[in-house]
Amino acid sequence: MTYKKNGRKLDDDFWKTKKLSISVGEVSIGRPKQELDEPMGPTPKPSVTDLRSWDFKLLKRYPPFYAPFCDMCCFCTYGKCDLLGKKGACGITAEAQQARTVLLASCIGTAAHAGHGRHMLHHVIKEKGKDFPVDMGKNIEIEAPIIRTVIGKKPVTVGDLDESLSYVEEQLSHLLSACHTGQEGNALDFESKALHAGMMDDLAREVADITQIVAYDMPRGDGDEPLVELGLGTVDKDKPVVLCIGHNVAPGAEILDYIEDNDLYEDVEVCGICCTAIDITRYNQAAKVIGPLSKQMKFIRSGVSDVIVVDEQCVRTDVLEEAKRNGAVVIATTDKMCLGLPDKTKEDTELVINELVNGNIDGALILEPKKVGKVAVEVAKKIAKRRKSLKCLPDISEIPKLAKECTECGWCVRVCPNNRPIMDAVTAAAKGDLKKLADLYEYDMCYTCGRCEEECERNLPLVSFITKAGDHLVKNQKFKIRAGRGPVQDVEIRKVGGPIVLGDIPGVVAFVGCSNYPNGGIEIAKMAEELLKRRYIVVATGCSAMSIGEYIDEDGLTLYEKYDGVFDASGLANIGSCVSNAHISGACIKIANIFAKKPLSGNFEEVADYILNRVGACGVAWGAFSQKAAAIASGFNRWGVPAVLGPHSSKYRRLYLGRIDKEDMWDINDLRSGETVKGEPAPEHLLYAAETMEEALVSTVKMCIRPNDTPKGRQLKLSHYIDLYKKYFGEIPPDLELFVRNERDIPITYKKDVMDDLTSKNWTPREAPKEPSLLGRK
Amino acid sequence: MDGNRTTPWQPTVIAGPKYGMLVTPAIAKMMLKKAKNPLFVIGSLIKDDEGLISQCKEIVETWNLPVAATGNIYKSLTENGIKSKRYGTIEIVNLLKDPEWKGINGEGQHDLVLFIGVTYYLASQGLSSLKHFAPHLKTVTLCKYFHSNADASFPNMSDSEWTNYLEKMSKI
Repeated sequence: MTYKKNGRKLDDDFWKTKKLSISVGEVSIGRPKQELDEPMGPTPKPSVTDLRSWDFKLLKRYPPFYAPFCDMCCFCTYGKCDLLGKKGACGITAEAQQARTVLLASCIGTAAHAGHGRHMLHHVIKEKGKDFPVDMGKNIEIEAPIIRTVIGKKPVTVGDLDESLSYVEEQLSHLLSACHTGQEGNALDFESKALHAGMMDDLAREVADITQIVAYDMPRGDGDEPLVELGLGTVDKDKPVVLCIGHNVAPGAEILDYIEDNDLYEDVEVCGICCTAIDITRYNQAAKVIGPLSKQMKFIRSGVSDVIVVDEQCVRTDVLEEAKRNGAVVIATTDKMCLGLPDKTKEDTELVINELVNGNIDGALILEPKKVGKVAVEVAKKIAKRRKSLKCLPDISEIPKLAKECTECGWCVRVCPNNRPIMDAVTAAAKGDLKKLADLYEYDMCYTCGRCEEECERNLPLVSFITKAGDHLVKNQKFKIRAGRGPVQDVEIRKVGGPIVLGDIPGVVAFVGCSNYPNGGIEIAKMAEELLKRRYIVVATGCSAMSIGEYIDEDGLTLYEKYDGVFDASGLANIGSCVSNAHISGACIKIANIFAKKPLSGNFEEVADYILNRVGACGVAWGAFSQKAAAIASGFNRWGVPAVLGPHSSKYRRLYLGRIDKEDMWDINDLRSGETVKGEPAPEHLLYAAETMEEALVSTVKMCIRPNDTPKGRQLKLSHYIDLYKKYFGEIPPDLELFVRNERDIPITYKKDVMDDLTSKNWTPREAPKEPSLLGRK
Repeated sequence: MDGNRTTPWQPTVIAGPKYGMLVTPAIAKMMLKKAKNPLFVIGSLIKDDEGLISQCKEIVETWNLPVAATGNIYKSLTENGIKSKRYGTIEIVNLLKDPEWKGINGEGQHDLVLFIGVTYYLASQGLSSLKHFAPHLKTVTLCKYFHSNADASFPNMSDSEWTNYLEKMSKI
């Protein structure tokens, strides 16, 4: 069997197209210009403080909410300072310390994406030259909306991307330096800097994804990308198996190239976990997606993979120790994660293969992607046969015997981040009932952090228990996920920009973030399904995109099989990996440019204000846990896109909350009339953590409401809000008077109920602003 | 569990030198008696436990407490005859931080807040927020597990002991 790399394609009946016109464009000698045909706005390449006034507008409306993890500051050699009701020895307060922690987290996340982007760009320039064109395909003229807006230029070649990345790196230095003891001291200024870090993260992600799209010819947003295989059952463990984990496609792509060049598709399995899994399937459909981050330890413990190739970000740092348990080999491939392994980059490939096969070394650091491709595949081929007996967990009959050793101390539950009932499952297993252990496996209810094992006073291999007990449920599971499509095309924006801005499409909801969900991955799929049925545009990336794919609906289909991958009402678009999140904010920016003709160059504030007030988009990060997710959220927030998070995200220590009881907070400028008018909490919060899926879903549809909605659009949005509120809370929402501006906004099906409610509250109508804005009139 | 009565249920939530006070129902009731405008926050963890909801109802009625329902428990409370207002945990904590907030019944900021049934790690974060930024109120948790970020908390308990404690709370 042969697989094709995903490439651009023309329809089969292309030649039957009527009135076909073909343009070869302008024939010119020399390099196309980077300058855009529009005036330069006020903030090209903004410094750390250039957008401070915008940030403060956001922070006035959505003041930071702090929930400290720790009462103390442990930063400097004064020693620990208790900040509970006191200042630290350097003068810092608890609020500022929390804000500083968030800034640090955002800087770390941004550095991870920027580091990935830098590796990628460096590799591509080395392989293809700096003049390799940034060609995003026939339907994408705005190739890099974030770069255009923030830098004020359009990248023509991959060499041009370097300017954006250098700017990110410079700004990161400034931001990180502000975290030093005895520098920034004001919580709001730390917040402004965190938002700036988020914007740098957005830029870095856009650079990284554009680079890999053009270099590896990944899909350019067609919307009909192929369905690729997902799930543990897709891997044939009788073959040599190479598992890629992390977030850098370069080594994975070289593995697939080696397989193609040597005609090994039938002989070797290549699969992935986390973002690399998504990205290698964007490159070559032969690769298989095991699943999100939470599959990591379970899959390694299962022993199926012969060679584990790790690149960067979100990889278990004990991956080598885990691999050694069942004789698998680890290859580290970036400077971010060397794992103490010997550097074999410059050594003869055959010698390295022999050393790994013979067990002279447990793994190797190989910083040359092409070399990784050969070594990984050849080692897997050579050791797979001898590992055959290791490609499974210990016999299931051993679990009850071992489980009887449990002393029922309960500490496995107490240290579990999710309070999973591990002890109950173990005690049931001791009596021969393995169902409770198996239940922990399904939908990644347990995300295999391994804290329980670390705590167990009898050293019971609890993750292996769960893995083995659940193995029979999942080992044959095969799902479909749509390959990551990358950006939203300009033609799609032309079609849906108006309906989104005017409210005729109820909203765009982006499921992003990590897989530490409060109740397993099923909740994220259920939320997506509910919104798809209601004709929201649903987009997804990374672990969330995979979790959505692991759900089969009542018709026996995955949501990717049931819904198209287009950016349109009831479309479910897998945008790609974490770096592809840039295309979601990019789509919002494109709406401002294509639909409203807002110039982008150096014009951040006007574009963000437009998005905040008009584009009904909301992010849902039901399981965000990483610093990257913190940076991504900060980036979205600065553009004016709110996000609903899962309860674990309260541990980010900071949220941005509005107050519906404070009417003055929602005053808004009508740029058309020049007046300040009464507004509404739309969106109510900028960053909010919900306790349950039901609360999250209601909050999400509510946060798609925008001041610019037309009466028809507002009716539609309120209809979904009321529907879901009634479904989950049993009555109509208590705050409708805030969102019903006049009778034209009331959904027809709820007219009587809503009018009765409004009348009881002495509601009076008001007119909607024509051009709502947080900015002053120019 | 006896040896760990004042170790937080999730031991890693220990935040610093200040620790919540372990209380019995008798002390919690004394705090309630002293309070001028208490509030009861009921979280979604007890949504499907009719016995617990019934015990909460008795506490509400005994002390005439206004109730904030978090997560998705609002409907269950209504169906079981407990009048409440719905808030997200984060939302109600945010409002409790503000000394100027008018309270859930418009009678001014609360001075004592009882919590039960909020997801442990989320409650811990909310209590931390109130510990730092709401010096105008006291927090008490009636949960089965010890919360070190509260001002006062029941200890880690077995189910039967907890039931006993909650029964005592509904007797003045």
